[in-house]
Parts: sequence; C-alpha cells; structure tokens
Amino acid sequence: MKTICPRCESTGVTQMHAGMENGQVLWRVWHCKDCAYTWRDSEPAESIDPKVRPAWAQMKGVDFDSLRQVVPPARKPT
Amino acid sequence: MDTEKEVTLSAQAKAVAARIGSLRDFLDYLGEHDQCVTWPDAVLPEPDIRNVSVAAGNNVSTGPAVIFDKIRGYPGKRVAVNVHGSFGNLALLLGMPKTTPVRELFFEIIRRWGSDKPLLARVDPKNAPVHENRIDHGINLYDLLPLYRINAHDGGFYIGKACVVSRDPLDPDNFGKQNVGIYRIQVMGPDTFTLLSIPAHDMGRQMLMAEQHGKPLKVSVMIGNHPAMPMFAATPVGYDESEFAYASQMMGAPLRLTTAVNGTDILADTEMVIEGELQLNQREVEGPFGEFPGSYSGVRKVPLFRVTGVSHRNNPIFENIYIGKGWTEHDTLIGLNTSAPIYAQLKKDFPEVAAVNALYQHGLTGIIAVKNRFSGFAKSVAMRALGTPHGTMYLKNLILVDENVDPFDLNQVMWALSTRTRANDIIVIPNMPMVPIDPAAEVPGKGHRLIIDATSFMAPDNLGADPHLVDRPMGPEIDALMQRLSELQKGGVR
Ligand SMILES: [Zn+2]
Repeated sequence: MKTICPRCESTGVTQMHAGMENGQVLWRVWHCKDCAYTWRDSEPAESIDPKVRPAWAQMKGVDFDSLRQVVPPARKPT
Repeated sequence: MDTEKEVTLSAQAKAVAARIGSLRDFLDYLGEHDQCVTWPDAVLPEPDIRNVSVAAGNNVSTGPAVIFDKIRGYPGKRVAVNVHGSFGNLALLLGMPKTTPVRELFFEIIRRWGSDKPLLARVDPKNAPVHENRIDHGINLYDLLPLYRINAHDGGFYIGKACVVSRDPLDPDNFGKQNVGIYRIQVMGPDTFTLLSIPAHDMGRQMLMAEQHGKPLKVSVMIGNHPAMPMFAATPVGYDESEFAYASQMMGAPLRLTTAVNGTDILADTEMVIEGELQLNQREVEGPFGEFPGSYSGVRKVPLFRVTGVSHRNNPIFENIYIGKGWTEHDTLIGLNTSAPIYAQLKKDFPEVAAVNALYQHGLTGIIAVKNRFSGFAKSVAMRALGTPHGTMYLKNLILVDENVDPFDLNQVMWALSTRTRANDIIVIPNMPMVPIDPAAEVPGKGHRLIIDATSFMAPDNLGADPHLVDRPMGPEIDALMQRLSELQKGGVR
C-alpha cells in the first residue's frame, strides 16, 4: 500500500530514515513535501492516523501559499 | 560598558562553577546529588520520551534530569531532558543546597546581576571537544540525532532547547552584536530546518536585514550546552551585549569558546553544533508546536535554513525540553531570569519594591511585593512594570502584595488576595500589546491587562473594620527553625 501523508493526504512523501533493531527495520521516518509534516510509522494513532487525528490538525485542501508569514520575505525567492 | 565588577561567590558556588564546564559535567554533578537518573528501560521515541519527561517535570522542587540511552531504533544514541526542570537543579548549579527556597534563588540571581566582567577563555578549534567529529557531506539530521515528537500534534520533530549563535549580517566582525538565543527549530529535510523568530527578536531582525540587503546569515545551532547558556541565553540583554559574556558573568567562571567552521563563536564543550545558512526569501510550512501558554501555535510560513556542516563530541547527548501546558521545564528554565530584570528596573525608581515573581509562563502573570509609600502607590509601580521591556509584551496579569508577603509563596499571595482585594478596585487596561501566541488575546498580538492591588489599605483610604495586622514571626530565625524541624524529621529524633 502506498504511504500517504497523515495530515494532508498527499502521496508526495519521502523516507528520511529507518531505525534498526537487531538488523531489522523497526520504524521509518517520513516527510511530506507538500505540508512538511514529519512522522514515524511507530507513533500512536493520534499522531499518524488521519481517521484518529483531530479535524483541526488536518490540512487536506489547504492552500499553503495563503499561510501567514512570520518574517515576511523581502523578495520573491529565486 | 564592561568594568571589573566580578561576582563574589560562596566557596561552594566557586567550587561548582569551576567544576562545571559542560552539560556532561553538570549531569555528573546532578547525579551525585540524586538529581539525575538514567532511565533503565528501552523506550520508543514516541510516546515514551514525552511521558517520562512530563513525569520528571511534574516535581517542580526536585524532579531529576533524565538520560535515555536505550532508545529503540537509535542504538548508541542518547537524549537528556529536564536538566533545568526543577528548582533543585538550578540551586545546585548556583552552588546552593537543592532544597533552597525559590525566593533565595531569586535573590542569588539578583546578587549576581550587577557583575559585568566577562570571563571568556579561548580554545583552539583543533583542541575543542566539539570538533572531535566533523561531517560536511551526506548530512542527515534524522540519523545524527535521536529526534522525536515533543507533543502529539506537533507538525514534526523539534529541537527545543538549542542555543543559536548568529553574527549580524551587516556587521559580521562585531563580537557584541553576535546573538545567542533559543528559538524553536523544526527539522525538515535531511539537511534543512526552519527556525522561528519574530521581527521583534534579535534573530528575526537579523533575518530581515540579511534578506533586505541580500547578505548571508550564518548560524550555529548549539545542542547540549553548559547549563548556564540556555538559562541566560533567554534573558533579554541589549542588542550589542554578548550573551556569552553575560552567562560567564552570572556563573562567575570562564566559559570556553572556540570557533565554528562558519566563523561564529561557539562553546568549545558543547555536544553538537549544526551550522546552517539562511536560504534567502525561502519559506517552509512550520508547526503546529505545543507552546508555553499550553496551546498549539498555528501553521505558518517560516524561514528555512540549509545545513552546511555538523561538529559533535564523541557519543553526543541530544539535550531537549518538554514544553506545553504548564508547569514545564520551560517555566523553570527562564522564570528567575524573567523576574530578575523586572525587579532590577523597578528597584531603580522604586526602592520600596521587595521582590518580583514573574515565573508564570514567561511572566504572563507577575506578582510584585512592594511597600506602599502612600495610598495607591502600588498601582503606580504596576504601571511602571508594564513599561519595562519585558512588561510591554508579557506582563498580562499583575498582582501587587505587601512587602512582607513572599510573592514566591502562593499561600501568602492567596492570603493577600483573600483579605486585601476590593472587587471594585481592580484595573483592566484594554487593547494592549500581547504575546501573539497567548490564546487569551482578542486578536493575536492585542489584548487586555489586569492589575489587582492586593496591598494593605492605608489612609486616606477607608481602612475597614479591623485593619491591625497580626505581626507574624518571620525572617532568618523562623527559617532556621524550619530547617531544624526538617532535620529532626529526617533523623527521626524522639
Ligand atoms: Zn502532507
């Protein structure tokens, strides 16, 4: 099954690291290129299961360009 | 201006200051006083580290630092939490017994406040422990650090207690304008991270300058530091004053500095330094993060940094913090150093001020003990407190109590509230500046202030039916008797 982001449900996710125990993969860390959510697949469901995560924490359909800037950039990035 | 006013320390404080040169030294010292434990069980990064951190921090008096060295999936890696999580640990750092009352810790900080002789030693980078290992290529922060989620709904894995060094992008050779501060850092890609600062803070100001003028902004993220560094890096000093100098002055012992590969000054004995460079005008989605008012900050666009190199000691310790709904290590770490400057600033104009307790959530609530010079005087002192640099943004609720009420003893403060507050004599100042992440704001950054004058009434005020105070015995004699009773209890003397 393809891994999707538990926060924005994007499929644009990349594995960042795998934790090993006795030569076996114990968990993997994933990062979403769209909403920048990072998670470990061994975490409790409240953090990584879209069906369990609170609605306020979900970002499916959010326009990321409309988010507030904390330090407004001086110019458009090149 | 620097002078030669060095702090005078007790013999014990001098011995402790001379002995502690790094986080490792401090953890050893804490361990000798039963204030540091190594967690015996194997833990998963989530939720185990979070839960043990909270449990350690729940005991504000003598909760221990905790070292994790059996983190599943991160063999050989270590995490330390709650290092500044109890007043007992702070007392030991100041060379005092771990049972020292908070009020005495406050006056010890005040006593050291006036020292202004920087004590900085230079270590050749070749001999600096932080440079024992160097990584310039193939950097993966998720591999180098045993990262974990601090609160369940944080947007990622945060480095919450690092001291970040940066040079002024327009005056990069000026040591004084080099800034050291604690900012929340969210690890993004394997070699990128966001760093949150607002334009009102030194780092935010440097980011604005760098982007406005197209100049590079290089930072060094120091993780696992001399315990004085995080404690005093969070204290607001002037923009051209060095936090390194300040931390050394407060400890009364030299801090060992060396140079990072990117040219910034760093602590020679720090566990790990991540060198990074601001990606001009680039932003990444950051948050939420469980912040000190006990609520999650929103998701925003925050400046992005790329890692240019990492130096670390052998077998480094990732020191991190639990922060969220209080009380947490964050409150203990910065509380006394939030209270001290407010006290020092008030004391200059109003010698009647006896003590200031602004321990609560970075000073969102402050309690000021003051002797009324005349009726209503305490309210004038409150107004002055709102005008101090920290008060301008943070002091939201102010409680004024008599000079013989200990503001650090909440039972005494409640006595003052119970017997001195007149409900028609509280002051609400509407539409004042406010910390943007305070959930009690009307709109983020704007809200109301509250002043409760719970000092004793004096003429020409109506004094009420029975205004004569009981003269409760207090002071050193009572303190000594309390100490004796506690020894008798421990010894089981019959
Ligand atoms: Zn996503």
